[in-house]
Amino acid sequence: MRYVAQRLAQFVVVFVVVTFIVLASTRIGSTDPVQDLAGGQVDEARRAQVLEDYPYLDKPLPIQYGYWITDLVKGDWGYSYYQSQSVMDMFKQRAPATFFIVFWSIVMGLLIALPVGVYSAYRRDRLFDRASSVTTFGFISMPSLVVSVALLYLVAARYDMFPTVGGSDYVAPWDNPYEHFKNFFLPSLAIGIGIGGVWSRLLRADMALTLQSDFVTLAKAKGLSPGRILWIHALRASILSLITSVALQLGSLISGAIIAEQFFGPRGLGDRLVFAIQQNDLLTLQAIGVVIVAVVVVANLAVDLMYAVVDPRIRAARALS
Amino acid sequence: MSTTLTADDATRAAAPEPVTEKRTRRRRIPGVGVVLGATWLLALIVLAFTADYLPFIRLYDRPVRGAAAAAFGPGNDFWFGSDSLGRDVFARCIYGAKTSLTISVASILVGTIVGGTLGVIAGYYRGWVDRVISIFTDALLALPAIIIASLLVGRFDVLAASDADFLGFGFSWLTRTWSVTIVFSLLSIAPVARIVRAQTLSISQREYVLAARSLGAGTRRVLVREIVPNVVPALTAVIFTGIAILLAAEGGLAFLGYSVPDPPSWGSLIADSREQIEEAWWMTIFPCVMLFLTVLSFNLVGDRVARRFDIREAAL
Repeated sequence: MRYVAQRLAQFVVVFVVVTFIVLASTRIGSTDPVQDLAGGQVDEARRAQVLEDYPYLDKPLPIQYGYWITDLVKGDWGYSYYQSQSVMDMFKQRAPATFFIVFWSIVMGLLIALPVGVYSAYRRDRLFDRASSVTTFGFISMPSLVVSVALLYLVAARYDMFPTVGGSDYVAPWDNPYEHFKNFFLPSLAIGIGIGGVWSRLLRADMALTLQSDFVTLAKAKGLSPGRILWIHALRASILSLITSVALQLGSLISGAIIAEQFFGPRGLGDRLVFAIQQNDLLTLQAIGVVIVAVVVVANLAVDLMYAVVDPRIRAARALS
Repeated sequence: MSTTLTADDATRAAAPEPVTEKRTRRRRIPGVGVVLGATWLLALIVLAFTADYLPFIRLYDRPVRGAAAAAFGPGNDFWFGSDSLGRDVFARCIYGAKTSLTISVASILVGTIVGGTLGVIAGYYRGWVDRVISIFTDALLALPAIIIASLLVGRFDVLAASDADFLGFGFSWLTRTWSVTIVFSLLSIAPVARIVRAQTLSISQREYVLAARSLGAGTRRVLVREIVPNVVPALTAVIFTGIAILLAAEGGLAFLGYSVPDPPSWGSLIADSREQIEEAWWMTIFPCVMLFLTVLSFNLVGDRVARRFDIREAAL
């Protein structure tokens, strides 16, 4: 219990520090946040309106942070004068596409990692293991930019089926599964390949250790089928660090999705983010930053707590390292 | 995977195997891959940093006379083809290597020095020092690297263009090369600190450290003579993997439009020529291949170092 409380406290501190960093970095080189928020040409009426809506903008940073985070928690995410749209509406419109790219790339990564990792651990040092080890090393070393270019050139440009830049909009999978597949297959694959390589190697290493442990020998002696031993008993014992890695990689997956969606279409948070950076659209930037940070931090916390619940030995080891 | 700074994962993915006799023997001889990788890196570094003096490398920003009308495919005149302005893609790739490598190597060195120091301090002193440093590194690790990097580089551009000054210095020196390097250095502190801290924790409990201390060695001596030398191998592996990760991250940053445009880094080359990929594939594919091979080589060398020193034991 003490451990949980400690983790929670640390979680709050980290969250505050990170969101403050996000807020502070939008203010670098900016002398007048009111003008940044009002957008482009400063027209006195609009300036006055911005000041009225966000009266805290000329206060020192920590105070601004206080006001902003209170608004955020209350559900008032602010208004983007550039987009003439509230930030919350922007999220409702754009976030699903980014979410699905991340989701499908995790699925894609696991579809690669589970069979490859398990089978190559089972057949350690045989042909399949050697081949998959070389291949996954290649996958790991392929920057997602390079994978995206390759997919763009080899697949998207040749087959009309798949959309390229800006050629598609978000379609919910329950509305039209086929369209959804078309729009999301390539971006998820572009991210999934790299992450699948990392996860296969991770799983293979853990699995190889598990397969040497006594309970596996016992299971074999009892006459359980190899499939059952591998996929049920051994996999359950070795999957913990894979789950951790899924959680730890979430941040980079979201970043990857934001890049990939600009290659292959489904317009998500990405182009809004790029635009917001160019215009220094404060509230949009801050909101996108905070959401991603929140996802990452919560995922990390969940993993830590899960460890604490699942295995007290690991808890002790992690507390040490 | 590639877009972010998770050297942690990369070293963990390079897992050691339970040692069998055959394996120990094989471990002493570097594999073909590592040798090829190291050769590629050496060749690339030599080419990139002597490019100004080599006769067969053209200027990256000047069209070759008589070739400005169209993009030519790869051939005898242009090894990697030419772009639509008549510039030599091979030369641009080599100068791109210079930009990309300078940025990643410089950043990882800063990250290693700062992060390494923090890690050793946190791991050795523990207690509240450790807790403060850990919160700092956790916070840095929670930042979405590419996004925060593009935001910061964008803001630094504004800062450089403004006439703001700090302690009497302007910010006009803050070119893209500098800002990308600064941002990448900041982002590489935390992963390094985390790994070094874990190493230090495990090393400081070894018998030789206890022995040194009971012989009366002071804190500084223990740190400098016992701990740091034993952290260095792990650090070497982290440096190589880190460079690979930063090279990839630079690609992502370039794609969002926030990397070094002149001389263009590999990422910028790829991002800028991507739209012409159907008419002139060589403009995009060659930088991609260079980037891939280089990342692969750094990973191979890093993996080799990690295996050599059996680093995994303390990585998590």
